[in-house]
Amino acid sequence: MTAALRTPTVSKVKPRRKGLAALWSHRTMRRLTQLGVFLFIAFIAVRHTLVGEAGATITASWEAYCPMGGLESLYKFVISGGKTVPHVHLSNMVLLVATLAVALVARNSFCGWICPLGFIQEMVSSFSTFVQKKAPPVRRAVKALKTRGARLAVLDRPLRFLKYGVLIWVVGGAAVYGFMVFRDVDPWAGLWGLLELSFTFGTVVLLIVLVASLFVERPWCRYACPLGAATGLVGKLSPFYLKREASACTNCAICSRACPMGLPVHKAETIKHADCVGCLDCVGECPREGALELKVGLPIVAK
Amino acid sequence: MKVNPFVFGIIVLAVFFGVLGGAKAAGVWSVSGKLDAAGEKVQPTGASVDEIKGWMTLADVSKAYGAPVAEILAAFELPEDTPATTQLKEMESETFSVKALREWLAERPKE
Repeated sequence: MTAALRTPTVSKVKPRRKGLAALWSHRTMRRLTQLGVFLFIAFIAVRHTLVGEAGATITASWEAYCPMGGLESLYKFVISGGKTVPHVHLSNMVLLVATLAVALVARNSFCGWICPLGFIQEMVSSFSTFVQKKAPPVRRAVKALKTRGARLAVLDRPLRFLKYGVLIWVVGGAAVYGFMVFRDVDPWAGLWGLLELSFTFGTVVLLIVLVASLFVERPWCRYACPLGAATGLVGKLSPFYLKREASACTNCAICSRACPMGLPVHKAETIKHADCVGCLDCVGECPREGALELKVGLPIVAK
Repeated sequence: MKVNPFVFGIIVLAVFFGVLGGAKAAGVWSVSGKLDAAGEKVQPTGASVDEIKGWMTLADVSKAYGAPVAEILAAFELPEDTPATTQLKEMESETFSVKALREWLAERPKE
């Protein structure tokens, strides 16, 4: 470690904003966007359940608004010149294009700013943090549990590769069998299936994800989401990246603790990780001026 | 070059909703197999059995392919009093499926 890292000389502490001014942040903007998307999908799902598709009124299913369907139908859409696997519509293909366009421009920011499943996981984690703050016995119990499970941390890195396997299975399975092999396992489908009292393996996966979110932030995104795997790879071409200025950084690791994807931000110089969801919570939480900033430069090579 | 997080958020949303808006404006948008890109209700045309979907009714298919409802019901050993307004997916049984109906219609001599 260099002396510059231990004894910052040029950075100033960011001024703390109070009252309503504290609410005016990119985090609020992100949360409102996530909430808006979630409420829109919830409205679509409830309306479809109540009205259905029979008769004169045709209401769209929540499935029509999921880019995962586009990903699963990608192979068939390309080789058949526009046909899709069952339950996938043109809207799914457009949503996939929009999601990949966001990845190309701004890395995995679809996951951090728009994806409602990511939002739900963040809300569960926030609830867990809130309860732990208010109830010391719960905090101690969670801390003890985390201490006991600390040795499992070695699995974190290899488990992150699992989502690429899921991606291959999802796209390859639909290409080979001609239907969405992921549909009954998808926790997002498991959630909205509950409206129709439909219980699938996806419902079980959803429950596992929600319970895991009490202890680990965004577990689905970290380890299993095939869409996040795809956008992470495309996002490697994005010109945006995070830059940690070693001379201004105090190595307090607040940024790493703020990262919902558990990335070691305070140890890196540039953050271009495929798992970064572009939430910028690390930038918002960093207490030092100029220590951690969002930059734009040439894709791949920018430092 | 340093970028403000607010500007980043606006770029993310502009790209995402820009693509969606562009697709909608270009007519490349459909949220149901029952609707075409123009938002019109899809009807079977009789051109290809591949177009037959589970949400179509017995009457829709009968009209498009010139196969009387009674003949379809008899061919698949379905109750004679099955309403013509019944959706195909609601008729799924051991003797009937959308796939079987497609195959039967494809092999059925045209009048």
